[in-house]
Amino acid sequence: MVICILASPIIVIRSFGASRPQAQEASNTAMTLLSKTITAFGSLLLAHACYSAREHTALQSIRAATAATLTSSSTAATSLPVDIIIETIISTFIILLGLVLGTRPLRPLEWRVWAGKIEREGEEGFTDNAGAVDKDYMGNPFSVLESRPNFVDIRKQRKEFAEWVQKGDGKQGQ
Amino acid sequence: MAPPILHSPVQLSPAAALALSQQAPAFLRSSSSTVSSSPLSTLLSGPEKSEQWLQYENLIVSCLRTGDDQAAHQCLRRLVARFGDDNERVQALRGLVKEAEAQGNGALEEVLKEYNQILDENDTNIPIAKRRIALLRSMGRLSDAASALVQLLDFSPTDAEAWSELSDIYLSQGLYPQAIYAIEEVLVLAPNAWNIHARLGELQYMAATAPGVANGLYQKYMAEAVKRFARSVELCDDYLRGYYGLKLVSKRLLNDGAKATRQTDDSEFALPGTSTLERLNELATARLSEIVRHSAASDRGWRGYSEAEVAAARALLADDASAIER
Repeated sequence: MVICILASPIIVIRSFGASRPQAQEASNTAMTLLSKTITAFGSLLLAHACYSAREHTALQSIRAATAATLTSSSTAATSLPVDIIIETIISTFIILLGLVLGTRPLRPLEWRVWAGKIEREGEEGFTDNAGAVDKDYMGNPFSVLESRPNFVDIRKQRKEFAEWVQKGDGKQGQ
Repeated sequence: MAPPILHSPVQLSPAAALALSQQAPAFLRSSSSTVSSSPLSTLLSGPEKSEQWLQYENLIVSCLRTGDDQAAHQCLRRLVARFGDDNERVQALRGLVKEAEAQGNGALEEVLKEYNQILDENDTNIPIAKRRIALLRSMGRLSDAASALVQLLDFSPTDAEAWSELSDIYLSQGLYPQAIYAIEEVLVLAPNAWNIHARLGELQYMAATAPGVANGLYQKYMAEAVKRFARSVELCDDYLRGYYGLKLVSKRLLNDGAKATRQTDDSEFALPGTSTLERLNELATARLSEIVRHSAASDRGWRGYSEAEVAAARALLADDASAIER
């Protein structure tokens, strides 16, 4: 459920980005910065909550020790104050939000949409937030069935390449 | 941008192949030249990356294509140092280098003899068997290549790439039914391959429009072609090749719709009705014009199509428009 709640702003943001495709590139880098800032802020809060909890227990144990020597009647074990608990929970959610914002765009689930994305967008459609092409992107995975690298006719390819070079030189010479 | 070195370079354009093979010296410099299998050096140099060997393989092919034989030999030496002389893939690559450097038919016969020798020792060496078939085809001995390929497929019938090659060989000999059969075998092995569906549609169309085809056969081929192209666009949104074929086929069927005598009762190969064909044609026209429009404007998210394909689609649409004006 937590993930659902956190993911809903992402979906909104993503559809927003899709409606204005030109701005997507700029928004990608802004998004990375935003997600990093949010994650850092959340971590800071969490660290602060941990430190407060530690300080609180230290203080409690000292107080208990002095109380025991003075009155010899043990006070009831006190739990953490409610503000520290709230801070911990909220900071965890903020970190989660930052991390989810920073994930790469989701890939299409349906085969035909995914295949269409490969054909229509090429490698541009499979980049992470920084704009680098995914390592596992390979275009149409079935294109090897038509290019057949194990049966390559290297002599023909060599000849064609030499012709291409000659033609290119001729163009430059003109 | 240079193409990634990890993908097979066979289908690249000459310019892209050149860019790739120009990366070779830098790549060779950046990776260490000696690989030893002793544990001490492995500890010192860190784990080896499996992609690296794929990159060497691809570099060999693209360097041979662009004529940079020196770099190809260097890559090959490193592969031999790592995997040994009698690794099957390395043997095939060495054969590839020899083929590329062979001058005249005598040298090619020598290479072929070597392949035969290797296959005599171990006739399940598939990379070498494939190289031998490719060499036979390259030397123009098509029927020898086809029979060798059939033999290979006899003991390795799940090799989709080999079936596809067989289909191509048959096609170059003009044997359409055989070519269609072979590409159907590929579809059995890779039923989701949208490009193979389109390829089958193209083969059916070629078979239908070949000279001297009987009317019944023509209808059967055309009906199959419609089905195949429709399947390819079903598997892949905005598939230019599929819509192009669909438009081509449906337009032709609509044009000779008047004189077509619907005598085939064979329900499996019955042509779709005129209204269905018209709707298919309209759909294909709409999708193709959208693709052409977006590609012409180079809109973001529409830059994956190759220019030649877009130009062909534009020509087909223009052809259609001029026919209407007339």
